[in-house]
Amino acid sequence: MTLLYILLGTIFGFVLSRSGAADYDQIQSMFLFRSFQLYGILGTAVVLTAVGLWLLKRRGRTALGKPLKIELKPLHRGTVVGGVLFGIGWSMAGMCPGPILVNIGEGKIYALAALAGALCGAALLGAVYPRLQKPLKLPPI
Amino acid sequence: MSIPLILHGLTPIHWSLAGAGIAAVTLTLLFVTNRRLGVSSSFEDLCSFVLPSPYFQRNAVLSGRPWRMPFAAGLVLGGFLSAAFGGGWSPTWALGMFDTAIGFGHAGKLAWMFAGGLFVGFGTRLAGGCTSGHGVFGVSNFEWPSILSTASFMAAGIVATQVVYRVLFA
Repeated sequence: MTLLYILLGTIFGFVLSRSGAADYDQIQSMFLFRSFQLYGILGTAVVLTAVGLWLLKRRGRTALGKPLKIELKPLHRGTVVGGVLFGIGWSMAGMCPGPILVNIGEGKIYALAALAGALCGAALLGAVYPRLQKPLKLPPI
Repeated sequence: MSIPLILHGLTPIHWSLAGAGIAAVTLTLLFVTNRRLGVSSSFEDLCSFVLPSPYFQRNAVLSGRPWRMPFAAGLVLGGFLSAAFGGGWSPTWALGMFDTAIGFGHAGKLAWMFAGGLFVGFGTRLAGGCTSGHGVFGVSNFEWPSILSTASFMAAGIVATQVVYRVLFA
């Protein structure tokens, strides 16, 4: 299975790299409404995944015959607050989480700083999580 | 008229093909391995190797490691192969529009990227997902938290880029 995860990650990374989803200029062009490319990618991915999910859920089992399980994400104030903070970071770095790793693979030196920032950001959230739980109505750890 | 990639000035593949590729990976991951696509959780997985707090040692983090770590390694490998087969791999500082409009040197670029990364890491983990887990999987599955979060990060990204490129560095 480990090899399959590496293979799927590699295909995903290659597509992100060559489509512009991991490209600083393409991200800014999306947010400046100068290019349709990224909207087209996300839109196509969502429509096709929605059809596939509908079929898979109707089948109800994985390829190996296990019951299909989809973990749902909780709704709380952090859903929106975190989304806004992430959007600012996505604009600044021109990379969301997957593309940070893809850009490192491509040889973009500054992407290492983005990864360091992302790890510190995740560590910071872990540190302040207990204090944010009440005001943002976050679920228990 | 497609905008060239920073990577060797390559022409990007068509958006419909890229979208189909992302959907194929997402659906294969679920159909074969029963995993929900999501990348930002791997930041917590990496943190869990060194941070002992209950937040990082919770089961949701530890149980994801066996698939998230190889998947994340694949993302790096995919980027490497893309560069290697697309004109050759070599370390670079090239950053397209940032170089022409903002023009910070190496240290400034690293500081900018670190700050951007901080927002990405903190924000995605607070929101419980990023472009993949919320934007692709969650929206496709008509989950309200994902639709709300996606609308939030798209709107914030639009505002932030407009401020940077149309106001601060116009």
